[in-house]
Amino acid sequence: MKKQIVVVTSGYERFVHWLMAISCLLLCYTGLGMMYKELNFFGAIFGGLKGLKTVHDICAVFFAVGLLLAIQMWWKEAGVFVFPEDWEWIKAGGDYLWHVDHVPETGKYNPGQKMFFLTVALCGLLMICTGFFMWFPHYLPANLMDWVYVLHVLGFVVIFAFFFVHLYLGTIGNPGSVSAMFSGKMELPVLRMLHPKWVKEMEHEGKLMIVEDKK
Amino acid sequence: MSEKIKLYDASKCTACRGCQLACKQWNALKAGQTEHKGTYQNPPTLQPNTYMIIHFQDYVAPEGDVRWLFRKEACMHCTKAACVTVCPSGALYYNKEFKTVGMDREKCIGCKECVSACPFEVPRYDKETEKVYKCDMCETRITNNMNPACVKACPTGALKWLDKDEALKIAEGRVQQLGGDANVYGDKFVGGTHLMYVLKEKMDVYDGIKKDPKVPQSIFVWKNLLKPLSLLAAGGVIGAELIHYMIRGPHKPHPEHYEEAKKQGGA
Amino acid sequence: MTNHWNDFKNADVFLIMGSNPASNHPVSFKWIQDAVERRGAKIICVDPRFTQSASRAHLYAPLRSGTDIAFLGGMIKYILEKQLYHLDYVLNYTNASFLVNPAFKLPGQNGGVFSGLKDGKYEKDTWTYQTGADGVIKKDKTLQDPNCVFQLLKKHYSRYTPELVSRITGTPKEKLIEVYKLYGSTGKPNKAGVELYAMGWTQHTVGVQNIRAMCIVQLLLGNMGIAGGGIAAMRGESNVQGSTDHGLLFHIWPGYLSVPTGALTTLALYNEKQTPKTKEKDSLNWWKNKPKYVASFLRSMYGKNMTLDESYNALPKIDDGANYSWLMIFDQMYKEKFTGFFAWGMNPACSGAHSNKVRQALGKLDWMVNVNLFDNETGSFWRGPGMDSAKIKTEVFMLPCASSVEKEGSIANSGRLQQWRYKAIPYYGDSKPDGDIMSEIFFKVRDLYAKQGGPNAAAITKLTWPYGKYIGKEFHYEPRKVAAEINGYFLEDKKMENPTKKGEFKEFKKGDLVPTFAWLQDDGSTSSGCWVYCGSVDKEKGILPMRRGQADPTGLGLYSEWAWCWPLNRRIIYNGASVDLSGKPWDPSRAVIKWDAKEEKWKGDVPDGVGNPGKGRPPFIMKPDGVASLFGPGLADGPFPEHYEPLECPVERNLLSPQKNNPAIKRFDKKGVGSDLDKYSGVASCDPRFPFICATYRVSEHWQTGVLTRWCPWLAEMQPGMFVEMSEELAKMRGIKTGDKCTVSSARGEVECTAIVTPRFKPFEIDGNTIHEVGIPWHFGWITTKDRTYNSGDKKAEVFTTGDSANLVTPTIGDANTMIPESKAFMVNVVKKGVK
Repeated sequence: MKKQIVVVTSGYERFVHWLMAISCLLLCYTGLGMMYKELNFFGAIFGGLKGLKTVHDICAVFFAVGLLLAIQMWWKEAGVFVFPEDWEWIKAGGDYLWHVDHVPETGKYNPGQKMFFLTVALCGLLMICTGFFMWFPHYLPANLMDWVYVLHVLGFVVIFAFFFVHLYLGTIGNPGSVSAMFSGKMELPVLRMLHPKWVKEMEHEGKLMIVEDKK
Repeated sequence: MSEKIKLYDASKCTACRGCQLACKQWNALKAGQTEHKGTYQNPPTLQPNTYMIIHFQDYVAPEGDVRWLFRKEACMHCTKAACVTVCPSGALYYNKEFKTVGMDREKCIGCKECVSACPFEVPRYDKETEKVYKCDMCETRITNNMNPACVKACPTGALKWLDKDEALKIAEGRVQQLGGDANVYGDKFVGGTHLMYVLKEKMDVYDGIKKDPKVPQSIFVWKNLLKPLSLLAAGGVIGAELIHYMIRGPHKPHPEHYEEAKKQGGA
Repeated sequence: MTNHWNDFKNADVFLIMGSNPASNHPVSFKWIQDAVERRGAKIICVDPRFTQSASRAHLYAPLRSGTDIAFLGGMIKYILEKQLYHLDYVLNYTNASFLVNPAFKLPGQNGGVFSGLKDGKYEKDTWTYQTGADGVIKKDKTLQDPNCVFQLLKKHYSRYTPELVSRITGTPKEKLIEVYKLYGSTGKPNKAGVELYAMGWTQHTVGVQNIRAMCIVQLLLGNMGIAGGGIAAMRGESNVQGSTDHGLLFHIWPGYLSVPTGALTTLALYNEKQTPKTKEKDSLNWWKNKPKYVASFLRSMYGKNMTLDESYNALPKIDDGANYSWLMIFDQMYKEKFTGFFAWGMNPACSGAHSNKVRQALGKLDWMVNVNLFDNETGSFWRGPGMDSAKIKTEVFMLPCASSVEKEGSIANSGRLQQWRYKAIPYYGDSKPDGDIMSEIFFKVRDLYAKQGGPNAAAITKLTWPYGKYIGKEFHYEPRKVAAEINGYFLEDKKMENPTKKGEFKEFKKGDLVPTFAWLQDDGSTSSGCWVYCGSVDKEKGILPMRRGQADPTGLGLYSEWAWCWPLNRRIIYNGASVDLSGKPWDPSRAVIKWDAKEEKWKGDVPDGVGNPGKGRPPFIMKPDGVASLFGPGLADGPFPEHYEPLECPVERNLLSPQKNNPAIKRFDKKGVGSDLDKYSGVASCDPRFPFICATYRVSEHWQTGVLTRWCPWLAEMQPGMFVEMSEELAKMRGIKTGDKCTVSSARGEVECTAIVTPRFKPFEIDGNTIHEVGIPWHFGWITTKDRTYNSGDKKAEVFTTGDSANLVTPTIGDANTMIPESKAFMVNVVKKGVK
């Protein structure tokens, strides 16, 4: 059976994704290193504890840029729920939790992905805002600052957990999907499974770019 | 060796500021350019290069008497120190012998969490060095059987470095002796401070004094709840994924997806 | 100080008046606090401003600057009326019972002045005692004779009623009574009261009389000579006591020997005129030994290079009636009466009253040598504010000198304690110790005299200078040798009877140190640079000021083995008055001296004046008649202190008498006396241009003109600039807020200050009028400011200060006795900067 490979992401999209992904990873790493005295040794690779703070601060800037670009780029496609089909999909558990004969078809991004995007966008903004004040605490009164720290950790709790969801679903949870973020290409069946409506729209509009037929 | 307290008896302080200077000298802190703003109090607040100041305050008592109140402001060295709790790097720590709050500036990463957490607004961040500064009770001195520099400089005995029991006893005794509104400040909160005051007036009278200093609630929320939660949540997610993978397996295309592909492909 | 710093711990009541020890003598509070804690002592603070000392006082009373005598006169009246005085003490140890010349008149009966005033000077022929045919002073031990000192005192101060005093001083009447009562409580034999004063009392036209008034109080209460008592003259500089002891002032040689005047042409004549005599049979009259001290001093100057008579004639004499005090020096300088000037460790451009006059005067010199640690407003006066350097001819030489920690030597503190200090660090750069600089100049001048001669050349060429040695080409001055010379030597072998023990003889070799001043001789066989210090260097024990013994057997804090105290290591002078006639201490719990009947000697402090118990020797042996003076005819302006208004004052008249100001002061505004710059705000009437009283003072952080402290960043950081403290009421009237820049101006100049608006200053109610007072510190000067012009190479302060000297506004009017300027009470205006 020949495999049909489809171009699904542009270079720009992948750049933004990895910009966020790498900075986010580093932020988590350095953040953990600073949050737990037991993990202070994380700093060793940056030349000491102070390095954790420096790397955290630098990554925060990259992350902020990445996040803003991502929001600007994906807001329309992934930031808005479309009813009733998204609702149907949610009711069906998106074919993830139990067997569904016919998975309700959704747009380019299914509600699960939309939820992830919104979480990242909102928590990311929260992290950036709170992080800003942590960097420059004199802009806020001390008693407000106390809660800034709480919010920053709260954001971390969510982002950190969702990170693993994302990692799972983007790799072994959905075999064949990870290539979208490396080569930018996906096998058509996988694409059809994950984004059936989008494939149809593209077909309809003749935009579906099949780049390769493998025998 | 035992827990010790630096007792500041405001009723004996003459505001000569020998302590303020001795502090600068021992800690080799540079002077900054100050400006006269109509008060003797200068520098106006604690700074990265000023670990302690004497507050000067004019006070007209309700009965019309004029008083001039002095108060030493510096790190209070809490027993339950918010700064130590939040410090991510171990730069702030409890001195095992005296229970004061020491500081290893080498370890400070300049995160400023202590700046926000301190209920007495003591730690000061220096942009130049990207580190935080505060009184460490002259740890280099006290661990070598010397009094803190400020205590050494004090001519009137307003500052004393005492064993905790003795300090509490003396403080109580002074309060009795002074009578009126005299009170001890520092023994009733944050597990007791290691800089304590004997105040001649009611606490409320003193400008800038913290009336009800507490380790902020938020620190409890994030240190005791959210911090473990972050690992728990992530762990839970990973666990759930494992189970999902075992039970449901990876999410694979249904045959229809292939069929459609064929159809399409054939077209 | 009659007592010493540690002795504060023995007091029961402190009267802080004319000083602010909490700010300016911070360590004194160690002992004051000790007395408060251990003895339950009470602190009274009387000051126009609520000071740091007031903040520690149990009782604070405000008073208008310059009215201390009114305040204390009221206290004397209260003590006499309520019979709080220590009768035995007053009767036996003061001149209370002496009968005064009936022709003597008190100001109350004489238009506000004492009898004898003529052309602004007192002729003292009525200020005398009645004497019997034997020349002995007549006394009335019942103290009832209307002409006895006690009755005159009573009569004089009967005018100082609390009501009137309150109208003059602005102190509420009930506060006055409270203070009088509390301080009067120390009249009991087992109570001790001490008075702490500093420049707040001296810098007035009635400065000496302020202190005299307190002497009377202390004598009435029996507080002199006892532990915890005395009058504490707290020096404003660590070694002012030492410099005064060693003849800093123009009118005294070292050891308080008066400088001869032109009329005293020979040593014999000087000795005759200057040596007090007495007919009182039990009086020791210690000053009868004066010729010995004079001879020994002359020997220390010239050794045996000249005879005593020649030495006496070689030393300069002052013109009869002439005055060479500070104000006069700069007045004469301004009038171009001399050409060269050494400003040695001084900063007159900031410290001199009416600094504008001083700064102008410096410009009239041909040359000036500025010896100091830093350049200062004096050395750089020619480029100071308002100066046109192109028009100034004065050539200025700067000689950098070593600081006190860069050399060894001694200082004598307020308690007359001479303490040795060691060199801590080498001197900096090109600087040299003062002694080295002085020696070098001396050798050059001596060579010039030796080569070229000149009038009175021998006065220079024959001086002894055994103070050091050459290392290479440089002469190094050795303070230890100076210490020995101050103590004095035997100049020949001599066998002598012990002056304190009849029948015991001692032999001395030429070059031996003199054991105490009792051994000094008038025949030229001994030398002593300053007789009161004789005994400070011992043949065996070396330089006693180096001692650091910490034994305190009496528990009174005498620490007799710590350093050395003049005279004779006596820690509390007049301590002979601390025991009754039979030799028992007035207060056995605080016995300064105790008679040991077995060993037949006094124990405790070195006894002062007292004979063996029962001998009846009056203990104030420095007084010819052996007793302390309630009636003190020695001063220029009256035997009793009388209240006079400051020359510049806010009241139209003296409420006590028709005489407004001290009649014996030198008025620079009189024709032919001062200069065109000696201006005052309407001294006859209140000048509306300058409606507020002003006093200058100090802060803890700065020292003197700040010439050292302004360069110390830590100190400048704490007190970075000139300020003016004022009441909320005055500030409101002038639209001034705390922190505003203000201009304080007087008839003589103006200075920019930052306003401190505070309830610690309150307006006074003076005879129904509201009178405001402000205060300014005097530590600042333009040289450490940021906005002055800097030439390349000029040192910049690490922390800049703002403002210039407070003395730009102070007046050139001095005390009638000492000519110290009246910087504590003069008139100014205060406006927000820019407001006309």
